Amino acid sequence: MDIRAKLAEQTYLSARPATEATAKPDGPAQVFGEVAQQFAATLQEGEATARAAMAGGADPHALVEALAQTELAVQTAVTLRDKVVEAYQEILRMPV
Amino acid sequence: MSDLIRTMALSASGMRAQSARLGHVAENIANADTPGYRRKLVSFEAVAGQGNAGGEVRTGPVRLDRSELPEIFDPANPLSDDRGLYRGSNVDLLVEIADARQAQRSYEANLKMFDQARQMTSSLFELLRR
Repeated sequence: MDIRAKLAEQTYLSARPATEATAKPDGPAQVFGEVAQQFAATLQEGEATARAAMAGGADPHALVEALAQTELAVQTAVTLRDKVVEAYQEILRMPV
Repeated sequence: MSDLIRTMALSASGMRAQSARLGHVAENIANADTPGYRRKLVSFEAVAGQGNAGGEVRTGPVRLDRSELPEIFDPANPLSDDRGLYRGSNVDLLVEIADARQAQRSYEANLKMFDQARQMTSSLFELLRR
């Protein structure tokens, strides 16, 4: 096998990421989407750990840790939702 | 926020390590009368950061106590030699009980840290709620 062809291929492969399209700058929608995804991931992790602990696979420390993290994540989400709803109601109550 | 979450992960790793240590202590106590048993020593080591911030603890490889096995005089024992002696285990029950108590105290300290981090996060959100 020709070593030069291999080298050229490697150079091309390493140069290719620079030519890819860059992602759009972070807008509010994207940030909220990422937050929601992280929230869902935390919840899924907690559920998976709880399932594994029920089946006897995971140790109880991991279960407690995952459940505490899930609890905090749910608390954050609920608090934020309350704040958003409250702000919306405040706007609706504005005398026109 | 992520610091508090990390604190919880660190405390959980400490609790895991202490319960592993307690398991080895129980193993030693259970085998205190086994002839030729060498007591198991557990060592702790810090987890090197691979992608995460590190700082967690884990139990290292189990080592055996190399100290001399005591000779016990019991001619009726089938393991005894022509002088009527056989090798017992080098488990000292007092040392094991002290070790178990130390593991319990360290576990409690980690548990307190876990609870502290959880309470601090909860009170932070309580501030946001009102």
